[in-house]
Amino acid sequence: MIEISNLTKYLGRKQIISNFSFSAQAQECVGVFGKSGAGKTTLLSLIAGAIKPTSGQINIQGFNTQTHSLQARKAIGYQPQGGLSHPQMTVKNLLNFIAAIRGFRGAEKRSQVGMAAARLELLPVLNCPIDLLSLGVKRRVAIAQAILHSPSVLLLDEPTEGLCPAQRLKFRGLIQSLTEDMTVIIASRHYGELADICTRALVIANGNLMADASLSELQRSSRHFRAVTLAADSPLDLLAMAVIPGVAGIEEDRDTPGTVTVLAMPGHSIFPSINALIAHRGWNITALNLEPGRLDDVVHHLSQEASS
Amino acid sequence: MRQLPIVFKRQLASYASSPSTYLSVAAFLVLCAALGLHANHWMERNSSDLQAFFELHPWLYLLLIPILSTQLWADERDTSFADTMNTLPVTTVERVIGKFMAAWVVCGIALLLNFPLVIAVNYLGMADNIAITSQFLASWLLAGSYLSVGCFVCALAHQRLAILLLTLGLLLTVSGLSSILDALEHQAPLWVVDSLISLDPIFRFSTMDSGKLTLHDSLYFISMILAFLSATTITLNYKHS
Repeated sequence: MIEISNLTKYLGRKQIISNFSFSAQAQECVGVFGKSGAGKTTLLSLIAGAIKPTSGQINIQGFNTQTHSLQARKAIGYQPQGGLSHPQMTVKNLLNFIAAIRGFRGAEKRSQVGMAAARLELLPVLNCPIDLLSLGVKRRVAIAQAILHSPSVLLLDEPTEGLCPAQRLKFRGLIQSLTEDMTVIIASRHYGELADICTRALVIANGNLMADASLSELQRSSRHFRAVTLAADSPLDLLAMAVIPGVAGIEEDRDTPGTVTVLAMPGHSIFPSINALIAHRGWNITALNLEPGRLDDVVHHLSQEASS
Repeated sequence: MRQLPIVFKRQLASYASSPSTYLSVAAFLVLCAALGLHANHWMERNSSDLQAFFELHPWLYLLLIPILSTQLWADERDTSFADTMNTLPVTTVERVIGKFMAAWVVCGIALLLNFPLVIAVNYLGMADNIAITSQFLASWLLAGSYLSVGCFVCALAHQRLAILLLTLGLLLTVSGLSSILDALEHQAPLWVVDSLISLDPIFRFSTMDSGKLTLHDSLYFISMILAFLSATTITLNYKHS
């Protein structure tokens, strides 16, 4: 579906993307994770054809974005970062315009626009000027225009930013349904939110591809993998937990007093021992979680590795 | 070129929904009528055409064209919209020509709104309608060439005020070229002056606004339009890369 080989992009003298290669198949949801300025937006802009690469190849459904740019663009839906804005157009006018450019006419155009608007819950604001809408709605407009032609490849740049928790939940459902029909690539700094949507993650730092693995693999490489987070009303005996075999360390959450995370050594399972200790001491525990691993921890670690 | 009508219609709708379009067209019409009637004393000339009005058009376009030019790429000043446009299956050529054609049609409408003058000259019984039609066509070609310059300036600058001032400055220079040439007449070699005269759009227009629309002069304006639109496309493609 998408094949990228040796992609490099310079902006002036600065190398933004460096020798980047990866491929994605249909019905894959790929998360592009990295810190701010890592090159995520540039990578998506390059795939979408908004900017041209300095060197390297991008093939979308077999079409090279340089030599067969129009065919490649037909297969792509792109949601730019920060939503979509226009000084004059209403949501309906904009969607109609994009649909016309995408080759839809008459009743087919109306139906495609209607479906995309309904899917993103834009029907109440269809006749509102885009400039007057909130950032969250502008972002939904941007997603609606990206999916109205049912593209083979959907590129989403920070899609959950500016959305309220309820909208994020709905968005998750939307992405899961879209992944059934197309390849979805999501660039985001909010890794945790996308952990259960993405089937695969690319970690990017300083324009370099630092990791290309499944989410579970990445989580396994986190130092919080199999860690136990517990919260209690009364102070916990940290020393008792520290001497449990397989415990690598204990972290106290400074933001929420009374919450601690007990880290496990690689290959050790400390959850049963901690459970037994809680039962033995009779601690009044309000929350107890076995952590699958923290993506932000992995991304932070890989970003530091890239800059050192 | 399948997407050209869509871009054209969108740009035309953009002009139709902008108050500055109506204001600039109205100002153009009022100044055209007022200056033609009073400053150029059209009634006293007892002319069978509208040369008294059309000879003012190169100067009046200095008001209309920069304002229309600033709106050409106004919607793409928002980076998210510009990025989205760059990812759509529409070529830069289609976008440039579509937008230019819409602005040129607005100029055409502004010219056609001078129809009361045509009615007046016919009512007075001295009309040479072929000459008047040629004058309209010549003026429309001049507007097109000025607009293509504005289109090119839009590709270079982003700020609305910068576009307005740059276009105005460039068109003022072009309009004042004949004065510069007069000053150079005794200093520069004759062939240099002759070459510059042949490139002067005001000189070309002055041969056409009397009602003699020649293929030679028409091709001059058409080639100027094509040259500036090509330069705009190349500049935008370069920026895109």
